[in-house]
Amino acid sequence: MKRRIMSLVLAGAMTCGLFVGCGSSGSSSSSAGDYDSPEEAAQAAIQERKESGEYPTVVIGYMNFAGSPAGLDRISEKLSEITEEKLGVDVELMIMDAASYSQNMNLMLASGEQVDLFNAVSVGYMPCVNKGYTLDLEEDDLLQTYGQGILDTFTETEIDGCRVGGTLYGLPVKKDDAAGKFGISIAAQYLDGIGFDYESMYEDGEEIIYTDFDTIDDIFAQLHEKYPDKTVFYMDVSSVVSQCLPIDIPSDNFGVLLNPTESLVIEDLFSSDQYMELCQRMYKWNQAGYISPDAITETSATTVQVKAGSLMAYKTATKPGILQQETNLCGQPVVIFQTGPDFKGSNAYNTMPWCINQNTEDPVAAMQVLNLLYTDPEASTILCWGEEGVEWQETSDGHITYADGVDAENSEYFNNVNWEMPNQFIAKIWEGNDLDIWERMQEFNDSATTSKAMGFTFDNSAVSAEYTALTNVYTEYQAQLELGFIDPEKGIPELVERLNEAGLQEYMAAKQEALDEWAKENGVN
Amino acid sequence: MARVKTQKQPMSKEKRKALLRRSIPIYLMALPGLIYLFINNYMPMPGIILAFKNYKAKDGIYGSAWAGLKNFKYLFSTQDAFIITRNTICYNLVFILVNTVFAIFIAIILSELTHKIKKVYQSVILLPYLLSAVIISYLVFAFLSAENGFINNTILGALGIDPISWYQEKQYWPFILVFVNLWKGIGYNCIIYLSTIIGFDRSYYEAAAIDGATKWQQIKSITIPLLKPTIIMLTLMAVGRIFYSDFGLFYQVPQNSGALLSVTNTIDTYVYRGLIELGDITMSAAAGVYQSLVGFVLVMTANFVVRKVDRESALF
Repeated sequence: MKRRIMSLVLAGAMTCGLFVGCGSSGSSSSSAGDYDSPEEAAQAAIQERKESGEYPTVVIGYMNFAGSPAGLDRISEKLSEITEEKLGVDVELMIMDAASYSQNMNLMLASGEQVDLFNAVSVGYMPCVNKGYTLDLEEDDLLQTYGQGILDTFTETEIDGCRVGGTLYGLPVKKDDAAGKFGISIAAQYLDGIGFDYESMYEDGEEIIYTDFDTIDDIFAQLHEKYPDKTVFYMDVSSVVSQCLPIDIPSDNFGVLLNPTESLVIEDLFSSDQYMELCQRMYKWNQAGYISPDAITETSATTVQVKAGSLMAYKTATKPGILQQETNLCGQPVVIFQTGPDFKGSNAYNTMPWCINQNTEDPVAAMQVLNLLYTDPEASTILCWGEEGVEWQETSDGHITYADGVDAENSEYFNNVNWEMPNQFIAKIWEGNDLDIWERMQEFNDSATTSKAMGFTFDNSAVSAEYTALTNVYTEYQAQLELGFIDPEKGIPELVERLNEAGLQEYMAAKQEALDEWAKENGVN
Repeated sequence: MARVKTQKQPMSKEKRKALLRRSIPIYLMALPGLIYLFINNYMPMPGIILAFKNYKAKDGIYGSAWAGLKNFKYLFSTQDAFIITRNTICYNLVFILVNTVFAIFIAIILSELTHKIKKVYQSVILLPYLLSAVIISYLVFAFLSAENGFINNTILGALGIDPISWYQEKQYWPFILVFVNLWKGIGYNCIIYLSTIIGFDRSYYEAAAIDGATKWQQIKSITIPLLKPTIIMLTLMAVGRIFYSDFGLFYQVPQNSGALLSVTNTIDTYVYRGLIELGDITMSAAAGVYQSLVGFVLVMTANFVVRKVDRESALF
C-alpha cells in the first residue's frame, strides 16, 4: 500500500513538473525606458534571452493556396537557425490554405491558442481590430524600440495607412499597392487560333496591352464563334467590383467614393452609373453566351479552369510581373489586356497587414522577429522560397529557380504567396521576372492615381448590425447581377430598395461621418 | 426513450431503496453518455452570454462590455428572422409528413417481400443515408447543372423544353430539397418501421387471412394501428428537432448559391454564414439563442398538445 501511495505522489509531482515546464518563460523584465537608444534596448533584450538559455518560440501564421506544405518543419528550423543566432528566438511557421484560413485564424485568435504573428489577409484587418485580437504596436514604444528596421522600410504614409482611429495595429507588406483595373487575361493559343494580331499592340517594353471594350467585344465574339464549346469569360465574383471599377471602396461596398481623386463624398455604389454599366456589360456578354450557365456555382479558380482547357479569358488586376505570374498559374502563355486605369485605393496598405496577437507572451520577441523578416534578405528568401539547394538554386544570371529534380508539383515549399510575406522586395527573384521588377513595382505604386481617402479605414463596429443585414441582402443578388444573369434594369432597383430597407443610408451616413473626421485629422480636403 | 409506467401507489422506503440498488448498474451504464451530454450540451451554455456582449478578445467573454439586445437587432431589422424561421419550420414539417408516409409505405412493401432480394433492396435504399452531404450535393449537381446536367440535356431536351438555370430559379427548390431529403433519409426511417412490423405477432395476420381479409385490409386494420405508437414516437422526436435543420442539405446541396438564399436559408446556415463568412461571433450567438428559445417553446407546445390528446404518448 505504501509503495502505491509513493508512486502516486511521484506521478503527481512529475505531472506538475510537466505543466510548469510548459508554462511561460516570461517576457523580458526590463523596459525600453532604461536604455539610451533603441539599438541598445534591442540588443539588451536579445542578450537577456541568450543568457537565460531559454529561447521563446514565436508562432507565425499565414495562408497559401495549397495547405500546409511538406517541408514546413524543415523550413521552420532553417528560419530558426537565423532567428536563434540573431535574436535568441525560435520560430514556428503555421500555414493554412486560403479556404480555411479565415475560419481557423478566427477560432485560434478567439480561443487564445498560440499564434504570435499573423497576417490579417482574408480574416480581415478591421474585424481583427474590432474584436481586439491585435496588439497596439506602439504600446510602450514597441515598434519604435524593437522595429527600427520596419520604420526604415516604409514611408510614414504607408505606416499610417494601417492606423485605425490613430492606433497602429498592423504593419503593411511590400507589394503592389496599386492595381490596374479591369485587366483581362486571355490564353494566347486561342488568340492565335482566331488569328488575332496582339504582338503589334504591345507598346515598347510593356507587358500589358492597353485597350478598350470595343476591342475586347470583338475578340470575345470571334473566340465564341471559333470555340463554341469553351467558356469565353469568367470572373471570381468576390472581387468584381474591387478589381473592375476605378472607385475607392473604403472597407466594404456599402458606401464608396465614386470620384475618389476629387471628392470625399460617400455615395451609393449600387445606384451609380458605373455599377449599372458594369452589370450591363456582363449582361450583354452573358446573353451573347460568353459566360458559362454554371458560372454561379463555379468554385474552381479562373486560372485552374484555363489550365484545364475549359476557359479562355478571365478578369485580373494587373501590376508589374503580372504576365509571368498569370502564365505560371495558367501553365501556358497568356496575353494581358487592360481597359481601366492604374489606381490606388484607401486600402492600399491595410488589406493584408502583419499583426501581433494581443495575447502573445513576449511582444518584444514577436516584434523583433517581425523586424528581422522585414529587413533580413536571407530570412525573407527562406520565407518566400524555402531552402537553398532543396527548393531552389541560383542561376548564372542572378535569378533563382527550382533545385535539380524539383518542380512545382513536388517542391516541398512553393507557396507563391510572396505578396503576403513581409518583404518580398529583399528576397531573391524567381526566374522569368526581370531583375529590376521591384524598381518597376515602386514606380507603378508611385505613379498610380491615388484616392484622396488613401489611408482611411472605416471602423464599422457601431453599425455592425446594419453591415450584417446589408451583406445578407447583397449576397442574394451579387453573383446574378455581376455575372450578368439578370437584367440590371430590373435587378438593380430591386437590390437598391432592399439595401435601403436593410439600413444602407444609416450605414453610409456613419461612414461619411468617420471619413469627415479622418479628413479633418489628416488635413485632407 | 423507453418509458416505464409510473407506479400509482406510493412506494415504501425499503422498496425504493431496493429499486435504487438494482438500478445502479443501469445508471453506471448511462454515465458515459451523460458525461458526453454534459460536456457537449451543458458546458457551452454559459456561452449564451456572448449574445449580449460586445465581444473583445482582449477582455475575454466575461470581461467584454454588455451590449444589451444590440446583437439581436440585425435579425429583426430585415426580414431575415422571418425568412429563416419560416424556412426552418415549414421544411421540417413537410419533411416529417412526407418522410413518415413514404417510410411506412416502403417498410410495408419490404415486409411483404419474402424473397432474398429484400436484403438488397433494403441496402440500396439505405445507402444514400450513409453518404456525406458534399457527395450528395455533387450528385444533385450532376442532374441540375445548367450546362452539362442530366435533366437539362437529356430529359428537358427530349421534351423540347428550354433548359432551366436550376441554381438561380428559387421556385423549384422547395421541391428539390424535399425530394433530396426524402431520398437521403427514407432508408433509415423505413428500417425502424420495418423492424417494428417484423416484430408483430404473425397470428393476427393468420387469423385475418383465415377470415378472408385481403392484403390491403390486413395492412389497414392490423399493420397501421399496430404501428401507431412508433409513428407517434418518431414524429414527436422529429418535432423536438423542428427548429434545427440538416446543415448539409441546406448549405451544400444548393451549392451555396446566393440567388436561392430566400428559400434555402435556415437558422443553422444563417448562423454558420454569420460566423464563418462575416466572422461575427456575437451575432451568430444571438441567432443561436433565438433558435434555442423558439425551439424550446415549440417542443414544450408540442408536448403540451400531445399530453392533452394522449397522455401516454407525451415525451414528458
